[in-house]
Amino acid sequence: MTAIVPDTLQGALIVSVIDFFLSFLIISGIGVVLSFFPLLNRVANFINAPKPVAAVKSKAAPVAHKPAEAGTSDDIAAIAAAVFVAMDGAPHRIINIEPSRSRSAWVVGGRIAQHSSHIPSR
Amino acid sequence: MFDQILTFLQALLDQTGAVNLSFGNLIMIIIGIIMIYLAIAKHYEPLLLIGIGFSCIVANVPGPPDVPGGPAISALLYTVKEGGLFHYAYMGVEKLIIPPLIFLGVGAMTDFGPMIANPRLVILGAGAHLGIFVALILAKVLGFTLSEAGAIGLIGGADGPMAIFVAVKLAPHLLGPISVAAYSYMALMPMIQPPVMHMLTTKAERDISMSDVRKVTKLEKIAFPLVIAIIVNLFFPPVAPLITMLMLGNLLKEVGVTDRLSKTAAGGLMNIIIIILTVAIGSTMSADKFLTVQTLEIVGLGLLAFLFGTGSGVVTAKIMNLFLKVKINPLIGSAGIASVPIAARVSHLVAFRANPKNLLIYHAMGPNLAGVFGTAISGGILLALLGVN
Repeated sequence: MTAIVPDTLQGALIVSVIDFFLSFLIISGIGVVLSFFPLLNRVANFINAPKPVAAVKSKAAPVAHKPAEAGTSDDIAAIAAAVFVAMDGAPHRIINIEPSRSRSAWVVGGRIAQHSSHIPSR
Repeated sequence: MFDQILTFLQALLDQTGAVNLSFGNLIMIIIGIIMIYLAIAKHYEPLLLIGIGFSCIVANVPGPPDVPGGPAISALLYTVKEGGLFHYAYMGVEKLIIPPLIFLGVGAMTDFGPMIANPRLVILGAGAHLGIFVALILAKVLGFTLSEAGAIGLIGGADGPMAIFVAVKLAPHLLGPISVAAYSYMALMPMIQPPVMHMLTTKAERDISMSDVRKVTKLEKIAFPLVIAIIVNLFFPPVAPLITMLMLGNLLKEVGVTDRLSKTAAGGLMNIIIIILTVAIGSTMSADKFLTVQTLEIVGLGLLAFLFGTGSGVVTAKIMNLFLKVKINPLIGSAGIASVPIAARVSHLVAFRANPKNLLIYHAMGPNLAGVFGTAISGGILLALLGVN
């Protein structure tokens, strides 16, 4: 390839003016292309949109019925479970909440060991 | 016997470099020490300045002459001359193997989210490149050929690999001083840019805070390198190798299934290249080559290019503010000069010093990344106009 522009000061000015303004133009073009990028998300959302399905009849899981003891942790657990069911769309429903019975000796022992290991006076 | 001892001692002294140490060598050693000081004490791009500074020092400690009666050769230059360790490293720069690999690593390290999220700011990537053309015209005035002037002007793009790439194509004999100027000024941007930014903005403008931008999805981030690679290869074949590798590195990062490759490109490979590149550049800084009128002119023009680029970026942002309802902080304009992420960090720090609640880094990254494309576009047009493939 041969140079299009003469090797003179005028040539340098011509190159500079053309290059500077073309750079503006082209980078603006890239900006315009980027401004359309959010459309990709819309297309993807449209493609991935969940198809309507027949409602699944929920079935209760067989669990023992026992009145729940009132408490904040129980409330949080109930709300978390409800949110999970709502978000997941799973065919389940909450029937009963009750405190854990698993108060094994090794759990208690482990807690004591952990808490007592951090006493500052030791 | 005493005469014999003196003769032996003289012969021993001749085997050292001490007798060949010149005033120019001392100046260059001081420059190298300043670079290392700035890297350690001021944290100015230590990854670049430590290697360049150290090599600059060693390249200016002369050894004995290569041939009897010949010029003194630094021990480092032994490694750079043909057959030496860094000879092949420098060949990697000369043969344009290293610049695309640097871009691969940069792509694998870079999140283009800020640029995708705020497309309006990409204009700053072109606005901050006035310095290229100021340096180009002044170089022509100083008597350089148009090709040499173009290569010198690209220093103002503040993009080391791109400056090397264009220099090899337009003026390979100027590769040494151009790469030294480009990388040194990139590392010294925290010193060069703030005075210009302060001069062109008011306290109220520096205080402007910018609201959060939208979140960019993974899909957009994956589409970005593909779209840009197609655009650049289609319209800018002269600079396509660099941008294509940048986009490949970014794709490896964003797809999420090639972690091993992206970590290698951004980690081990990049670190090896930085060591090779900085030593190769620093080893060209021997006093006899560097302290010439031509080199000093190139270094001076490079500095002017950086100053004008910084200023034009800030002014472009201020012009944009005339038309925007939600104003942008003009300090992010200077980040359009490229040099990722150094220039964005400088914008952030200057704004942060003006107002500690102002966190501009994410906003500044948009124009900063656009600056890479701005430099590539300017370089591509320059190569096309000057008839280089």
